[in-house]
Amino acid sequence: MSRLLHPAAVAALAVAAALIVGLLLAGLAGADPLTTVSALVEGMLGTSYAIGESLNGVAVLMLVAAGFVIAYRAGLVNVGGEGQLCAGGIAATAIGTGLPAGTPAFVALPAVLVAAAAAGFAWAAVPAALRVWRGTSEIITTLLLNFVGLALVTLMVHEEGLLRQPVTSSETLPQSAPLVEGAHLPELGLSRSPATVGIVVAVVALVAVGILLRHTGTGLRLTALGHAPEAAARLGVPVARARFLALGGAGAFAGVAGGMLVATAPYVLAEGFTSGYGFSGLVVGLLARGSMTALAAVAVLLGFLVSGGINLQLVAGVPATTVSIVESLIILFIAGSAAWAARRRAALRAPAPRPAATQAETVGAER
Amino acid sequence: MTLLTQILVSGIGFALPLLVAAVGELVSERAGALNLSLEGMMLSGAFTAVLGAVTTGSPWLGALAGILGGLLLGAAQAVLSVRALADQIVVGIAANALALAATTFGARLLLADRGREVPAFDRIAIPVLHDIPVVGPALFGQTPLGWVCVLVVVVTAVLLGPRTGRGLRIDATGEDAVAADRTGLPVRRVRALCILLTSAMAGLAGAQLALSEVRAFSDNMTAGIGYLAVVAVIAGRWRATGTVLAAVLFGLAQALQYALPALGVAVPPAVLTMIPYVIAVVAISGLAGSSRAPSCLTVPFARA
Repeated sequence: MSRLLHPAAVAALAVAAALIVGLLLAGLAGADPLTTVSALVEGMLGTSYAIGESLNGVAVLMLVAAGFVIAYRAGLVNVGGEGQLCAGGIAATAIGTGLPAGTPAFVALPAVLVAAAAAGFAWAAVPAALRVWRGTSEIITTLLLNFVGLALVTLMVHEEGLLRQPVTSSETLPQSAPLVEGAHLPELGLSRSPATVGIVVAVVALVAVGILLRHTGTGLRLTALGHAPEAAARLGVPVARARFLALGGAGAFAGVAGGMLVATAPYVLAEGFTSGYGFSGLVVGLLARGSMTALAAVAVLLGFLVSGGINLQLVAGVPATTVSIVESLIILFIAGSAAWAARRRAALRAPAPRPAATQAETVGAER
Repeated sequence: MTLLTQILVSGIGFALPLLVAAVGELVSERAGALNLSLEGMMLSGAFTAVLGAVTTGSPWLGALAGILGGLLLGAAQAVLSVRALADQIVVGIAANALALAATTFGARLLLADRGREVPAFDRIAIPVLHDIPVVGPALFGQTPLGWVCVLVVVVTAVLLGPRTGRGLRIDATGEDAVAADRTGLPVRRVRALCILLTSAMAGLAGAQLALSEVRAFSDNMTAGIGYLAVVAVIAGRWRATGTVLAAVLFGLAQALQYALPALGVAVPPAVLTMIPYVIAVVAISGLAGSSRAPSCLTVPFARA
């Protein structure tokens, strides 16, 4: 019984339950379970092209989620991944299309990614500053700024004075010009696979964040801040600065991810280029519960699910939104069972005398 | 109709659904329950309203279906956040994603071939009052469902106001749930009922949007209005008057998207899309210092 209550087991059960609902929905849309599963698996693992595409998505998810975890450790919830991806993508495009054509990769690529990180940081700095100095909930402000960020991308790719490619005919698409050759993320060189070095960057970032949070003073200070802000302040943690940098850092991670999205084929900025990665990244970060290993595992699962979902629509005629339904059900199931499982675990461990009524802890975030 | 009148008509048109949702959300938040899922409740309401209207051929049954659609998501929010003590914010955001995906899925499946002719509500001009210059058509040219919305807002604000017995009980659960529990108030039941009321009103708001304004369902048609309604409560400092004013302001900001191009002002549409959200960020950051949220907002309650 107690083994079934382990967080990982709860998460696995939630995923399984959500997948079953997904299968039922696909059935409603007229696809039998076998077709659904085979289309899904085909889209995830069928070809080396599919695997490469999925891996690129996984890299983006990992980066957004790693940033989310940093802020979460400090007690802040970053719901603004989508907007920060947009900011990063816009900055990367501005630099990547502005550089002279022959710029070598060792100059262009770092320039593009640093610009993306800086833009993501700046985008998250607004809610961070408002939170730190005015006490405004970062959840609401980061959320609202997503809408601003998405509209900003639309603006950038529709106005010729901004980032739109030169309009030559009425059929010119509203998107940016392609990034210069040097700014393209190098592919890993696997045969017929579009997988880029993005996944390597993301894994390195995960390891770095894991070490930062687990084995350094900074990580300890952030954790203290997240658990008990007042105690942390009394122990000398610079609360305002730590919070500001944690949320800004989360933005920088998402910004880099946005930069990587435009530095991957077809190397342009277009409306909808974030394709919901900001939200999925948040899901990954929440489900990982601070463990980088779990984060990598969940990112792989969701990343492959999303790319499998596209094939689901192409082959089985099941709307790709089925995957989003499954994704949101996973969160709801886990959110619903986590508090319950925690109490059951506590009850199994120590049937102690009950204290008087108290406020229950908010699950997860220290609010 | 003069241009100003047109701006006001479409401004009030946007403001009314936002207003209904915001006044409902105010009740929940005073009880200590934050529903970020308001956006999803409105979208579900809009979807089920159109589905109901198309299926039955009656806009009134459609509106009823819209309320039920909102309630469905509200029940999930109530069970998860009040009963299962889940994080209200996480549940809210996930519920929105679920509503967006599920309504898109449902629209493909159920509305694809017959979504075109939706039995909707027509505007009724109230004699004399409708002819008041400038503001007349905006205020007195609502659809029947629009009048229901106004009625619901007024009744909710009056019956559950902070000086009524019910209102006091709601405020008590939101300010100090432990003390409220000790005095014998059923904290969880109060909160669950408030969330259900909120979701029913959000469903009504979605129905108003779909059956009175847009007269159709389109994917993600609420496009952030629900979030603006949540912000309207914060910007309105958890008071009914403030919330109403903020909701009208956001509605007018939305209407600018259509009014400015009509005025001949060449502003890219994307800039106009941003305006309400930028105003919302400014509104809550400017006011947060001088207002105080209910103490127990987002804190789940359980007897230990």
